[in-house]
Amino acid sequence: MKTLITNAHLACPASGWDEAGSLLFEDGVITAVGAVNETADETIDAGGLCLAPGLIDLRVKTGEPGAEQKETLATASRAAVAGGVTSMVVMPDTDPVIDDVALVQFITNRGKETAKARIYPAGALTKGLKGNAMAEIAMMSGSGAVFFTNGDLPVENPSMLRRTMGYAASCNAIVSSRPNDHALGTSGVMNAGAQAARMGLPGLPREAEWIGLGRDLLLAEATGCTLLVDQVSTARSIDMIRAARDRGVKVYVSVAAHHLFFNELDVGDYLTYCKVNPPFRVEEDRQALIQALVDGEIDAVVSAHDPQPPEEKRLPFGEASFGAAGLETVLSALLALVQDERIDLLDALKPVTSSPADIIGVPQGRLVVGAPADLILFDADKPWLCERENLRSRSLNSPFDGRRMVGRVERTIIAGETVFEF
Amino acid sequence: MAIPGYSYEFEHRHLLSIEDLSRLDIEHILDLSEEFAEATRAGRRPEPHLKNMTVINLFFENSTRTMSSFEIAAKRLGADVVSMPVAQSSVKKGETLIDTAMTLNAMAPDAIVIRHSASGGVKLLSRKVDCAVINAGDGTHQHPTQGLLDTLTIRRAKGRIEGLKVTICGDILHSRVARSTTMALHLLGAQVTLCGPATLLPSGTETWGAAQAVHDFDKAIEGADVVMMLRLQLERMNGAYLPSQREYFRNFGLTAERLEKAAADATVMHPGPMNRGVEIESAIADGERSVITEQVEMGVAVREAVLKLLSGRRR
Repeated sequence: MKTLITNAHLACPASGWDEAGSLLFEDGVITAVGAVNETADETIDAGGLCLAPGLIDLRVKTGEPGAEQKETLATASRAAVAGGVTSMVVMPDTDPVIDDVALVQFITNRGKETAKARIYPAGALTKGLKGNAMAEIAMMSGSGAVFFTNGDLPVENPSMLRRTMGYAASCNAIVSSRPNDHALGTSGVMNAGAQAARMGLPGLPREAEWIGLGRDLLLAEATGCTLLVDQVSTARSIDMIRAARDRGVKVYVSVAAHHLFFNELDVGDYLTYCKVNPPFRVEEDRQALIQALVDGEIDAVVSAHDPQPPEEKRLPFGEASFGAAGLETVLSALLALVQDERIDLLDALKPVTSSPADIIGVPQGRLVVGAPADLILFDADKPWLCERENLRSRSLNSPFDGRRMVGRVERTIIAGETVFEF
Repeated sequence: MAIPGYSYEFEHRHLLSIEDLSRLDIEHILDLSEEFAEATRAGRRPEPHLKNMTVINLFFENSTRTMSSFEIAAKRLGADVVSMPVAQSSVKKGETLIDTAMTLNAMAPDAIVIRHSASGGVKLLSRKVDCAVINAGDGTHQHPTQGLLDTLTIRRAKGRIEGLKVTICGDILHSRVARSTTMALHLLGAQVTLCGPATLLPSGTETWGAAQAVHDFDKAIEGADVVMMLRLQLERMNGAYLPSQREYFRNFGLTAERLEKAAADATVMHPGPMNRGVEIESAIADGERSVITEQVEMGVAVREAVLKLLSGRRR
């Protein structure tokens, strides 16, 4: 069946479309883009809405398997498609940990059976994420794991990380690491500094990120491994990555959408929805992350979706869990920057479409002939109020709760099928 | 202290932090506390302002001193006081702070006095109950009645706060007292110097109202009108934050020799309980400049004032 979307504003960083046009797809694959002069079985009048590739999110945590009360692949994907996310990489820190072929296949199959969005597993870098034995990277890679990570538990032992990175490099596998020095960066609950001292809360120092990042970059350089730096949060981290790239290190970097929006002051009156790790930093860091995005130095903007049930959040700040639901707010966070004229629409969409697609090697994320018809129609100017009770994630905790947002997804299409309509 | 032509009313429902108070609020509480203190000294019982009211003392951390102080204050004003042993029961059963708050709220108390080990914990609870909540210490955040009683003690000793040089020395990092007292004194016009080893003196103390933060106690104490020593948690000694008690006392202990550098009539304070020979020499703690016992006395008076102002204030 052929479907034609007319009267759309095509927005695609990969192909450079940023103008009015149409798009035709057949059997789940894009067959024409631009001025399309073909007839179709079905026509969708976009009414001037933006038509862009569906978003690709490289960092989503669900509770499945092991903690389904937090989130399942199905419930996360429900939130995903409402937020315009059509492909998502799920983290391996589940129970059991995704550290062998059978579990990679379980996630893949379970995703196909239950989820509305495309699900890609990330494999564990070490067995059980314990940091002392290498996981079967090559076999998991062959089964569909798109990169390898120790999740929120960076490998403490540099010798172990060095061997793992070297092995991954020999398999052409990407290693993703959240930069954090274990000894410095585990006892705090918010950004270390004057605000934490005033609130009487232990801090997570920025130095922990820098020391962890410095180590990871040096080991990537030494081993030739391709490194995906997961969720930087400070200005100096960007400088360090830039310097490493100049030395020829193969490094990608991601930023969580909420770090483009909040600073440490947003923790306010001990607001546990704003308790995330890495924590919200100072305003200068936030501005530097936005500038890096504008300069094209950020390869991926991720939701860092890490839902927590109410019993984990309705606690004093120090005792509450880290993590926030983020799948439904990524696009709006980026569109807010477009609205403020900080960044062009295509530059804002690149780190959530073609750039992450290139990192994990999938064909979607672009409006080109032959690509999967994973598409979103959205109104870039439409205001909406983020209210936690209206979120579709199973866990209703978002730092954006109560905030006025801009940009609303009206329709989400995956492989030619409409999976969400507002 | 009333301003002519200006009508003032204490409008707060809770006492959670000194940050929530204005200068007028603090002066109002201190004036009222002074009345209670004088009445007690004169052997008079205060009016039963809290008659037929129920005050719940909810202490998640052990604290004989503060809990007794609140209990005495509430009973003097005629309240029925219930002290809840939450540390031993509900927490062990997995009940959250919010669950506890809602359970207590259903019992319709007129005020809840709460101490909790988590910074911000008292604020969280206050959102869930209908009655007044008084923070008796939350983590390393605030201990507002201690800040007020320190300020009252100083005002009685010196006759004023404005323009005084106050040096607070010790474990500033972990001290809710330091935060509350610094803010209260700053609001009333004192110049507060915070002093401690680098490991126990956080950045950003200027946002609390501290005029300066230094590591040299000999300089910090020079010309001070008031010297307040803070309790050092001994479990933090020896390698983690400090090399030894001996080295700490040498650099930051209050001795007679060091006190000579302060103003001739300098007042010595300590919120207690003291580690004698670690923070302060015994002779100084018990000496004629010490108002440590009066701090305890003013504690009851301040708590009477706060309970009178807040009890029965409902959503």
